[in-house]
Amino acid sequence: MSKWRLKEVIVMAALSVVFGVVYLAFLPVGGILVGFMGPIGYEPIFGIWFIVSIIAAYIIRKPGAAFISETIAATIEVMIGNALGPILILIGMIQGIGAEAVFAATRWKIYSLWVLMLAGMGSAVTSFIWGMFQNGYLAFAPGYILTMFSIRLISGALIAGVLGKILSDALAKTGVLSSFALGKEYKKRKKAA
Amino acid sequence: MFIHNVNPSIKAITIIVSVFLLALVFDPITPLCFVIWIWILTIGVAKIHWKKYLVYFSPFFIFALGMFWTNVMFANEPNNPADVITLFGREFPTEDVNTALALSLRILSFTSLSLLFLLTTNIVHFILSLMQQCKLPPKLAYGILAGYRFLPMMKDELVLIHAAHRVRGVNRAKTMKEAFQQYKRFAIPLLASAIRKAERTAIAMESKGFTGSRDRTFYRQFTIGPKDWLFLVMMLGMLLIFITVSWQLGYLKWYSGEF
Repeated sequence: MSKWRLKEVIVMAALSVVFGVVYLAFLPVGGILVGFMGPIGYEPIFGIWFIVSIIAAYIIRKPGAAFISETIAATIEVMIGNALGPILILIGMIQGIGAEAVFAATRWKIYSLWVLMLAGMGSAVTSFIWGMFQNGYLAFAPGYILTMFSIRLISGALIAGVLGKILSDALAKTGVLSSFALGKEYKKRKKAA
Repeated sequence: MFIHNVNPSIKAITIIVSVFLLALVFDPITPLCFVIWIWILTIGVAKIHWKKYLVYFSPFFIFALGMFWTNVMFANEPNNPADVITLFGREFPTEDVNTALALSLRILSFTSLSLLFLLTTNIVHFILSLMQQCKLPPKLAYGILAGYRFLPMMKDELVLIHAAHRVRGVNRAKTMKEAFQQYKRFAIPLLASAIRKAERTAIAMESKGFTGSRDRTFYRQFTIGPKDWLFLVMMLGMLLIFITVSWQLGYLKWYSGEF
């Protein structure tokens, strides 16, 4: 944390707040889908709950950004009022670790689309392992579990990875990120072009 | 007001440990007893109004029902297919119904634990206590608190962006594609203004002498006393008693996930 500038910490917290609200807004959406399809209903939209890891890591590009931002977003969800309570902070950490592990594997150097998609899938893997433990998914038939898992992986790659990149790039174009890693990269690219 | 005054960090740790213990066992009895115990605590001891409680609780009740339904319908092949129970005029293997009950009661027990925390804890105190008791870096803790204060501003911002769109003659989205574009039109300015605000806040904090060092004093101090340990021991003790009762009755299974 000592290597972080205060500006980066607060911006990460602000992003986490925005997405904490988004995360909460998607819970009832998932609830409706679950009502129709059973527990698999959460899977198609599960990637939305990983998106802040991808965005924060892509913009700030420091070790820990994916993990900490997801944890803060979960904390914000708890603060606003979510019936999952403090355990949600733990869930956020677990999701964050998945994405962070992928960024760590590139030594926090590569932030291409593929890495971002893989990071989204990383969160899908860790969150699914937790889901098996917390919600007892193992009681379902193996085929059902496998289907759930594949849908979550795809959702992690597309909603978190691809959509996260689209949003961050659109933000960088507005110029507000000029003092952050992504904004600097944009400036460099503009100069070169 | 005993539960309200328990140290927030200890309260959170107690609840997380309880969730872990509950996740380890797999039977209908333990979570059922525990849910009733938590209700008594929340409504009887912490004096949360039951109507308010019901509003928070009902969505999760519906989720638990969905869980129950899926588990009965999509369960693994039972070991004893002859042993059946009649539900809604249809026959289901007793084993599957038991598993489904255990799973959905588990969700209800997690929910009631979390509500106990939420409804009795001042969240700003929780963050301050995390910093003082759990060594959360002050940079992060005050960052989160600052971010939390942005929330009402973001609501205003949303109204502003909406008005700006209306002035420029942007119509309401009719098709899916338009709806998606509209989301983007709202999301980007909202995020951009959040980032600008965050940068300004960081500058203000630094100019007022905030260094983020751990070596600092606190206006609101949180401590851990005997009552906090009492709460922890009481909660975990009750849970262990319920587990023992369930074991005595022969229902208890460790969660192993084979079935």
